[in-house]
Amino acid sequence: MKLTIGKAAGVLAAALFAGPTLADVCETPSTLGDLGNFEGEVITIMGSIEGTDEEMLTNTVSCFEQATGAVVKYSGSRDFAALIVADLRSNNAPNIAIFPQPGLAGDMAKEGHLVPLGQESADWMAENYGAGPSWVALGTYADAEGKEDFYGFAFKMDLKSLVWYSPEQFEDNGYDIPTTMEELIALSDQMVGDGNTPWCIGVESGNATGWTATDWMEDLMLRTTSPENYDRWVSNDLPFNSPEVLKAMEVYGQFSRNDDYVAGGSSSVATTFFGDAPKGLFSSPASCMMHRQASFIPAFFPKKGEELTNGEADFFYFPPYASADLGNPVLGAGTLWTMTKDSPATRAFFEFMKEASAHEAWMQQGTFLTAHKGADLGAYATPTLRKQGEILSNATTFRFDASDLMPGAIGAGAFWSEMTAFANGQDAQTTADNIQAAWDAIK
Amino acid sequence: MTRTLKHVVLLLIVVIWVVPFIALVTTSLRSETASKTSGFWTAFTPTELGHRFGTHSRDETEPFVSMSGNIFDRLNAERDSFDVTGEVKSILFKGRVPDPDNEGNTKLIRKLIFAGEPMDVRGGEFVFASNGDFIWTFAEATAAKPKNLDAFINQDPVFGTDAYVEVLFENKNVPNALISSFIVTIPATIIPITIAAFAAYAFAWMRFPGRDWLFVVVVSLMVVPTQLAFLPVLQGFSGIASWATSLNAWMTDCELTQTCKVASKSFASLWVTHTAFGLPLAIYLLRNYIVGLPKELLESARIDGASHLQIFTRLIIPLSVPALASFSIFQFLWVWNDLIVALYIGPADSADLVFPIRLQKQLGTFKDQLHLLNASAVISMIIPVIVFLSMQRYFIRGLLAGSVKGG
Repeated sequence: MKLTIGKAAGVLAAALFAGPTLADVCETPSTLGDLGNFEGEVITIMGSIEGTDEEMLTNTVSCFEQATGAVVKYSGSRDFAALIVADLRSNNAPNIAIFPQPGLAGDMAKEGHLVPLGQESADWMAENYGAGPSWVALGTYADAEGKEDFYGFAFKMDLKSLVWYSPEQFEDNGYDIPTTMEELIALSDQMVGDGNTPWCIGVESGNATGWTATDWMEDLMLRTTSPENYDRWVSNDLPFNSPEVLKAMEVYGQFSRNDDYVAGGSSSVATTFFGDAPKGLFSSPASCMMHRQASFIPAFFPKKGEELTNGEADFFYFPPYASADLGNPVLGAGTLWTMTKDSPATRAFFEFMKEASAHEAWMQQGTFLTAHKGADLGAYATPTLRKQGEILSNATTFRFDASDLMPGAIGAGAFWSEMTAFANGQDAQTTADNIQAAWDAIK
Repeated sequence: MTRTLKHVVLLLIVVIWVVPFIALVTTSLRSETASKTSGFWTAFTPTELGHRFGTHSRDETEPFVSMSGNIFDRLNAERDSFDVTGEVKSILFKGRVPDPDNEGNTKLIRKLIFAGEPMDVRGGEFVFASNGDFIWTFAEATAAKPKNLDAFINQDPVFGTDAYVEVLFENKNVPNALISSFIVTIPATIIPITIAAFAAYAFAWMRFPGRDWLFVVVVSLMVVPTQLAFLPVLQGFSGIASWATSLNAWMTDCELTQTCKVASKSFASLWVTHTAFGLPLAIYLLRNYIVGLPKELLESARIDGASHLQIFTRLIIPLSVPALASFSIFQFLWVWNDLIVALYIGPADSADLVFPIRLQKQLGTFKDQLHLLNASAVISMIIPVIVFLSMQRYFIRGLLAGSVKGG
């Protein structure tokens, strides 16, 4: 037994005397425009962003604080979805609420708790964001009278169609990066033949368990059927238990319910925390070779994403079927910033989010992708992020995360829980029927 | 015989209760990799664990014929503490070799290489000893790229307080949470117990119309679930806060800006809520205790001319110390451990979060860093344990008090 008190004291001293080093976050390629002076005004923001991302968010809004003199208070909680509903209904609204899911934002708009951002902002977004009109559509909801307005400002995007791997493992084993789904499946089989386990899959996420599985489903929908069918699926014109959806679910089952394919066996999928799943790539010895997850996941790697800069990790695009001729579909998502209590300073904050400089401030820190066309790509913290930004722009088809677009009861409810049941062994037909039944119930 | 059985059962209960605590403390004193890759029970004996090390740094690009180094030095170069020591058992070799069964094809082989056996790494010969020394030789000078290898090491136990240093001093989150929890818990314990003591005396010894019915109402309030009341309570606080804001504006002459705004979610809201929900049980417990005090004592005090207030302060309070103390423990522990009320009704500023919310946030951030989470959990447990141990004398007497009449 060896106590390391001496070293502990050293760490303590370093922690006490290290000053803040993030002052230069606000020094961006683009300059910040004049936003006005709001000395002493307080803006409260609530959201579900926590951990490393929360620090980056705080750093980014500090640029707004420096420019205007306002004070921005952010509070993040994993229980955001429950807390914001209680706060809005009890007249305790923060100034800004950051919705991770458009479904819930739409519900709140319907109850009249959101302040419209105005046509001007909608036009700005259509003009200045890549695939602008689809981002505007994502933030447009109906109020109680059914009148549609623009409420949700998309800021901070995620790219979902990525497969993460360890280049060193691929090199040791002599594997090549697959460029078609056929090659990916052949590679998976080859890995099994070699005695390796191809995939790490985990869908556990507290009261949001199952969302990882819905991402798989969406990516596979885009690869097995047309984008038009995808849109009809989102609006339920294409029922959940139709052959197209069932086919995508069967394909997902080929990956996730195959004991040879999944590290820990298929029964571990439902109980593995989504943030722990990628650690299998780096464990010693590696417990899996590949991990399909969105662009944010390096924050959960053992070295918090440092693996990407030192070459221990990389990603490739989750490829489409060569036989299907559906182009290069890309799946993504974004958090939606809504105004829940009007104030001049809050309006200025939304102007701040239109500034390229605000986007660059976060890009420089990492884990942030943006569709803002004016933002300097050189501001991306790493070549990896830049590569992701390029995938975003090279997509022939871009679709938003379907579960985010579906009504809250489905996209943040039945779809999640039934996909978890699917991971636990429920068959595809029952799973699809149950989700469709839940959807019929809210129509 | 029954005595032995009783002891065995007791011992079993103690073990069941203590094991998770030992697990928590042990894990908090271990390194991140150790706590992630092996159970806490393996912490006390040498354990074989996999470690990945790189042969040399990426900056060293000079060609060499032979390179020597030490696996432990390479491993420990990257860490500040929890140095790995022990014995290298084996290294996992992975690579493609010509397939004997299938001409022209290769096959992947994986095998454990033990100390002293040569192994092919990037075309060179790699040999290591169990003390970690390795030598890597090539036929001619080669600028070999570094290679990461998986070594299985029979690792000596190592403990450190790094996790505690990190959660306590890395940033102010945990110290702030401790202070916030005290700010919430102390008034939220003292206020209800003060009110309840007065009420309990009235219910026990004062005569007024409807007394029994009122008592039944108070007792039945115990079944109202807190969760049910969040929305109306929050709406109430929001109303009070906006009224207080205008009052503040009128009295202090500040403009109606953020500076004189009274927050509806604050420490005071938490005190009021915890008081309201703690009162029914407090009144019930204290009334049952006070009603059991000897009647003669109170009557003689009355004859001597003591008022209700004098009887209450001079007789009832000193005699009820065990009951008061045992209820304070209940209330203190309940408020200290409360997450949901604080989440909905308490202040949301990062600096004002109470300990359970901070722990919950760490669950999001450190879900993969058990040692840090456990260190925070141990810190949050220490306070209730101190409170309990210092007051347990009263606690037991308080629990027994109701059962033994005329004492």
